[in-house]
Amino acid sequence: MKDTFGAGLRHFLNKESTAGVVFSLPFIVGFLLFMVVPMGISFYYSLCDYNILSPPVFTGLNNYIKMFTNDNVFYKTIGVTFYFAFVSVPLRLIFALMVALLLLKSSKATGFYRAFYYLPSIIGGSVAVSILWKRMFATDGVVNLLLGILGIHTNYAWLGNTKTAIWTLIILAIWQFGSSMLIFLSSLKQIPVSLYEASRVDGANKFSQFFKITLPLLTPTIFFNLVMQMINGFLAFTQCFIITQGKPLNSTLFYTVYMYQQSFEFYNTGYGAALAWVMLLLISVITVILFATKRFWVYTEGV
Amino acid sequence: MKKKVALLIAAVIASASLSGCGGGGTATTADTTAGSTAAETTKAAAGDESGKLKLTMSWWGNQVRNEKTQAALDLYTEQNPGTVIEGQFSEWSDYWNKLATSAAGQAIPDIVQMDYSFIDQYVKNGLLVDLTPYIKDGTLDASNISDNTMASGTVNGGVYAVCAGINAPSLLYNKTLLDKNGIVVKDYMTTDEFIDLCREVYKKTGYKTNIAYYNAGAFLDYFMRGNDVVLYGDKKMGGEEKDYLPFFQMYETGIKEGWFIDPGVFAELSIGSVEQEPLVYGSSPETMSWCAFYNSNQLTAMQKAAPEGMEIGITTWPSADPKKSGYLKSSQFFSVGAHSKNPEEAVKVINFLTNSTDANNILLGERGVPASSKIASELAPKMSDVEQKVIHYVNEVVTPNCSPINPPQPDGASEVSNLLNQVQEQVCYSVYDAETAAKEFYNGANEIMSKK
Repeated sequence: MKDTFGAGLRHFLNKESTAGVVFSLPFIVGFLLFMVVPMGISFYYSLCDYNILSPPVFTGLNNYIKMFTNDNVFYKTIGVTFYFAFVSVPLRLIFALMVALLLLKSSKATGFYRAFYYLPSIIGGSVAVSILWKRMFATDGVVNLLLGILGIHTNYAWLGNTKTAIWTLIILAIWQFGSSMLIFLSSLKQIPVSLYEASRVDGANKFSQFFKITLPLLTPTIFFNLVMQMINGFLAFTQCFIITQGKPLNSTLFYTVYMYQQSFEFYNTGYGAALAWVMLLLISVITVILFATKRFWVYTEGV
Repeated sequence: MKKKVALLIAAVIASASLSGCGGGGTATTADTTAGSTAAETTKAAAGDESGKLKLTMSWWGNQVRNEKTQAALDLYTEQNPGTVIEGQFSEWSDYWNKLATSAAGQAIPDIVQMDYSFIDQYVKNGLLVDLTPYIKDGTLDASNISDNTMASGTVNGGVYAVCAGINAPSLLYNKTLLDKNGIVVKDYMTTDEFIDLCREVYKKTGYKTNIAYYNAGAFLDYFMRGNDVVLYGDKKMGGEEKDYLPFFQMYETGIKEGWFIDPGVFAELSIGSVEQEPLVYGSSPETMSWCAFYNSNQLTAMQKAAPEGMEIGITTWPSADPKKSGYLKSSQFFSVGAHSKNPEEAVKVINFLTNSTDANNILLGERGVPASSKIASELAPKMSDVEQKVIHYVNEVVTPNCSPINPPQPDGASEVSNLLNQVQEQVCYSVYDAETAAKEFYNGANEIMSKK
């Protein structure tokens, strides 16, 4: 009896699937505990009137109904967030691609430049950089000082004006181009040199090489970057929270910051949770749409 | 086709899990914060290895307060070697997030610094301990605290909070600048007199005026008292729409005549931070204000933040009838959290902070004029000129002409204050005129209150 148990155990431990499960356990436990459970709780809260201090009271779809029928700020923040994501992400990708092309030529300093240009991606989302940004665009900040050196003397309040405030955030987002750049760089290297050589023989110039060879072969990478960055763009929080707080006139109020305000400043936590779920839905829809457009412009080898 | 469907599903899942980080964030943060505080408190209750009793105390404030309070707590440990007190401090806005989440996790700190605007909510939810029995058995000595002051920490007949310092709304102003230009500020200015003064200052010096921009909740409350209107009613706003008109007209006039500070200035500052208040912070009269709307205990911090050679004066806020508007308030309270395992020990610490001469020699009235009259008079000679000025203002200017403060703000007040700030912003950016602003605010605020 003991022997069969021991053999059974050994057999179980030696199975490949056991090892797989054991090794993925840290992720599975973390995912369930810190992702699925909180999401479930947040979904329940989204159906409740909950102010953190008192226990939640179930109110059904009230939060969702209020959001769509009786909350102008909700629509305003969606507008701001879409504007931010749809302007900053393409610009960031274009910028990342341009820098990647520049860094493609290898020289002794390439490694240094790569690390250097990647730096903003690491620190750009931090509170410190956000505070720095706020100072840079102040009326007596570096930006106006530099403009002064160029002969444009101004004490324009970049952050105080509804037209320009959002652009300070967009520029900060563009500046964090590092991770997209690295991905572009690695896939640029995978484009066969023979294609360029052949096209040069056929008389193509750099310009048409880029549009006829580089760009089409990069489309899968562009697609990947676009999806990832779009999701990140919709979830941007720190920049807005630290730099503008949504001011002036809610012209820079990101969806996530509004969610935070509702949840933790006004103690409408149930409503905040409902906002979160609508965001999830919106991002999913946009991701699905992006995937649906894939076959029109993304090049897949062998098709 | 199958592959494509699989891809689509993968995409949705990917976006779900990615956005889950942000989306589910509300719940996650709440739970983890509560969790960690819970762990701390369990540890506190159990005491550490050496058998010492551990208490936690949380407060909001500035650097000066953090250092002084910690020093006072260390002194308590010195005198009571069996007890260790861990101080947790944060900024005002973070403080209330943290406290609410720890309350949700059944782990509110033993000693909590409480504010008048939150006390109602916390008592209603059973998160604070009724201190009446401790006052009766003498653990907490309230004999030197006036009845009025005790009343402000009393909810439904129970004493839930002890005043940590008394202050009064006060207009802080650049006395040096005004003296130099022969401009006289008198106490108890009416709104019209105040507006005339703003015009005069602007004309003579170029300095503009900041009237509680984006931070106007308390000022509106004060302003309305001058017209015999209590700001918050039961699930509605006090008064009628037309009562709110003069408030917004003041801003409209200021913007039209140019003496109100450009609201764009505030996009670059942390509003409510003494160090960045346009009264003391800024490079030209164009972006600075000659006055600031604060509370009396903040004069010390403001004077410290002022450039060298700038003397800060103190007077009353304007309203239609400032003598009617005026009130004394507890700048903050000390309460005992309902989840405390050792409420009696926590009360002892509060008693120490309130009645010990040694403790108050360290604290030096940073939280306002000490609630205990005995301590207040003992402390007076030890205080600096600026601190003396605060005491003089509270005792001689406000006290003779003040009435009881309005009842604690009800649930929903923070949302109404936010609406007020947004409407005020619209007026300052010339989007709304005063009539529209009064209408938007009155209707919007009533809607918020009706749902609470």
